[in-house]
Amino acid sequence: MATDYWFSKLCYDLQRPGAGAEYRADREKVLARYPLSPEVLAAIRADDVAALQPLVNAYLLRFYFGAAGMSDDTFMAKLHAMQKLPAAKEQAHG
Amino acid sequence: MAEFVGAFAASHAPLIARDWDKFAPESREIITTDFHELGRRIAAARPDVLIELSADHWTNFFLDNLPNICIGIGASHDGPPEPFMNNFPRSIAGDTAFAQHIAKVALDDEFEPSISHHLALDHGFCIPLMKMELPKLPRIVPIVVNNLEPPMPSIRRCFAWGKLLAKAIASYPENIRVAILASGGLSHSIGEPTMGAIDEAFDRDCIAAFKAGAEGPLTKLLDERMEAAGNGTHEVRNWVIAHAAAGSRGFDLIDYRAMPEVYVGCGWASWNA
Repeated sequence: MATDYWFSKLCYDLQRPGAGAEYRADREKVLARYPLSPEVLAAIRADDVAALQPLVNAYLLRFYFGAAGMSDDTFMAKLHAMQKLPAAKEQAHG
Repeated sequence: MAEFVGAFAASHAPLIARDWDKFAPESREIITTDFHELGRRIAAARPDVLIELSADHWTNFFLDNLPNICIGIGASHDGPPEPFMNNFPRSIAGDTAFAQHIAKVALDDEFEPSISHHLALDHGFCIPLMKMELPKLPRIVPIVVNNLEPPMPSIRRCFAWGKLLAKAIASYPENIRVAILASGGLSHSIGEPTMGAIDEAFDRDCIAAFKAGAEGPLTKLLDERMEAAGNGTHEVRNWVIAHAAAGSRGFDLIDYRAMPEVYVGCGWASWNA
């Protein structure tokens, strides 16, 4: 699946000092700055790791969910659950 | 003339800094001992300058402009921006003249590196520098190697870059001692469905191929198996560059440990210059 530039940009921008805290405090305010597609917005709002994983560099994805407040254990559990999905084999090292 | 005084390599998992206090004492002991041995070897080589090869973990570059190779030519570099690296110096001395020489030798040889006058060196560069606890940090010439976002440099090209660095050192007219440090690897998987997996069999075969030295079998191994060993494994490219700079011989493993605590198959090594 193709890289989603604007979701990638959001992930990248959240590395700025204070940006993670702002995002956790008011996610919608931050999301409004990016021309994200309805599908990507829905996946972000649902913390849908499996839907977002193919859209962004895996390191940025990890950083994003950390900045969004998800623990490493939860993030990894959601990633590992993807291995049980039919498409997981293709995506395993995308 | 400049003198090439040794090549070195180490893993750089960020959790080594972020989660240090959570590790079992035995894990802290292994990491400390191995980084100290690496630091002892580098200090014994007495480099004035350390060319350091690492990925940039989305610190300096984004999808808008993503170099495959970027040479940091700044007189100084910013310290790591990660909050968990705050106790590392905020400014790290560089070597503009020598870095520019590397860039010129590269361009004269039909390589096309990017250059940067101002890099921030993230945990990829700074974890080994921090954990080795060198008595005095040499001047750092950072070279960012794209290990993160496809398309990445081929293994064949990494061998060529290593040979080019050796040529650049040998042709530099100043009387300085230069070492190379490859940061990253071995196998790890980050942000993928296999996150946390360590491919110890790959790592052992990779180490054996570095010990054997020959370019062909090492290239074949990496071309065939690196991708499946996890996305972080692409950082082994940096080890290949160091290996080639050392003449593809003299690899000496300090230690290898599959360390689930940091999600990385951790290796420490040096090459006899």
